[in-house]
Amino acid sequence: MADIESALLEIVKEHAVGLAGELSRDTPVADLGIDSFAVVEIIYEVEEKLGIEVPFNANENPLEGMKTVGDLIDAVKKLAAPK
Amino acid sequence: MTRRVVVTGMGGVCATGANVAEFWENSKKGVCGVTRRTIGPADDLAVTAPVAPVDGFESRLAELGRDAQRADRFAQFAIAAADEAFADSGATIDEALSARTAVIIGTGIGGQMTSDQSYFTMIRQGRRPHPLSILKIIPNAPASHLAIRFGARGPAFAISSACASGAHSIGVCADLIRSGAAEQGFAGAAEAILTYGALTAWKVMHIMSDELCRPFSKNRKGLVIGEGAGVLFLEEYERARRRGARIHAEIVGFGMNADGKDMINPDVNGAASAMKLALNDIRIADPGAVYVNAHGTGTLLNDPTETKAIRETFGADADKLIVSSTKSMHGHLLGAAGGIEAIAAIMALKDNVAPPTINLDEPDPACDLDYAPNEAKPRKFDLAVSNSFAFGGLNAVLAFAKV
Repeated sequence: MADIESALLEIVKEHAVGLAGELSRDTPVADLGIDSFAVVEIIYEVEEKLGIEVPFNANENPLEGMKTVGDLIDAVKKLAAPK
Repeated sequence: MTRRVVVTGMGGVCATGANVAEFWENSKKGVCGVTRRTIGPADDLAVTAPVAPVDGFESRLAELGRDAQRADRFAQFAIAAADEAFADSGATIDEALSARTAVIIGTGIGGQMTSDQSYFTMIRQGRRPHPLSILKIIPNAPASHLAIRFGARGPAFAISSACASGAHSIGVCADLIRSGAAEQGFAGAAEAILTYGALTAWKVMHIMSDELCRPFSKNRKGLVIGEGAGVLFLEEYERARRRGARIHAEIVGFGMNADGKDMINPDVNGAASAMKLALNDIRIADPGAVYVNAHGTGTLLNDPTETKAIRETFGADADKLIVSSTKSMHGHLLGAAGGIEAIAAIMALKDNVAPPTINLDEPDPACDLDYAPNEAKPRKFDLAVSNSFAFGGLNAVLAFAKV
């Protein structure tokens, strides 16, 4: 599961244009400067890198309700957990 | 009272210029932007052909910003041209004007580079395409990007009429302003199809030159595909005058029609009718002061057909005009041709110089007008006409005059 965390941090970092300073679990999602395009790109990369499928509709914001990057990592870990 | 429409901003990018100033200097000098390139994503998926590419554009992407970086090349060209046109105009788009600002940007094809890349990824590499492929490919991507970029919330859409897309877009945007549906707007077109898929499809049509583009020359062998964009900023005349805008030209005529005959072959009557429609309201005092930026593709059929159409339109006065094809230099920008060539026509009018038709080294009895062969011709111009005649028989002609 540590792999998911580092992979996700790397993906998010690439798209976080608004971020000043280090990216960590505590970084607020609102500080990342992620727009609708970036959400779609991040999900695609998560799917490609982790071999999972993220149930997601592009007209909904999957980041809604997520306060920190840690929330995002936990959500992806849940998706990747063996059923 | 009839509302008048003027051009207050111009922006362009093509093989012979990264902006309007460079494009126009090179146009007057007769600089040829055609070069032989091998294009394709893999050794066994490559095509070699003469093309007119925009080199070094990638280095401008950083300054164009994040949205532009995530767009297809054709939309990136449109954004660069629109930025230049808007800065050139000195106009503003405040809250009140936002809903009255139109964005009409055409294209012949759309995001061909993304389309090619997507199929390569899926078919050759067995992977899924990039998730933003659709948003990059859609022909309205430039119109949408510009609406977001400039906060323009008026009428916005793409016009697609193959090689007439640019001229149609400028004419329709001018009509929107004339009718009162908008006060100002971006108008033009963009194209970027220098890909393995597109060039191969063009090649099998046997209409591409295997060397240079030689419009109106007896040894012409076909067209050479270019890429780029041409965007104008248009405004209602009284508004532009009140704010003290520098006015490049007035759009005094727009003619559009369809041949209704053939998908490939051009038609003298259709082309002549479109020109007559564009010139309908214009009293030409001195035919010697008229510049025609020809469609002039350099194909076997277009050039004599266009010559006949010009003769039918202007009668005996046709011999007094200067007609030139700048495609000989920047190649055929397809959908964007009408955009960049409108700029060439306006600059000819402003600068009182007709840019040359280069590579015209063998006169053709079937092409017997003054084409400014190989050298620019200074002449005091009152009127500039820009012809665009598309595959599928769709014609659009613009006429510009000094204000």
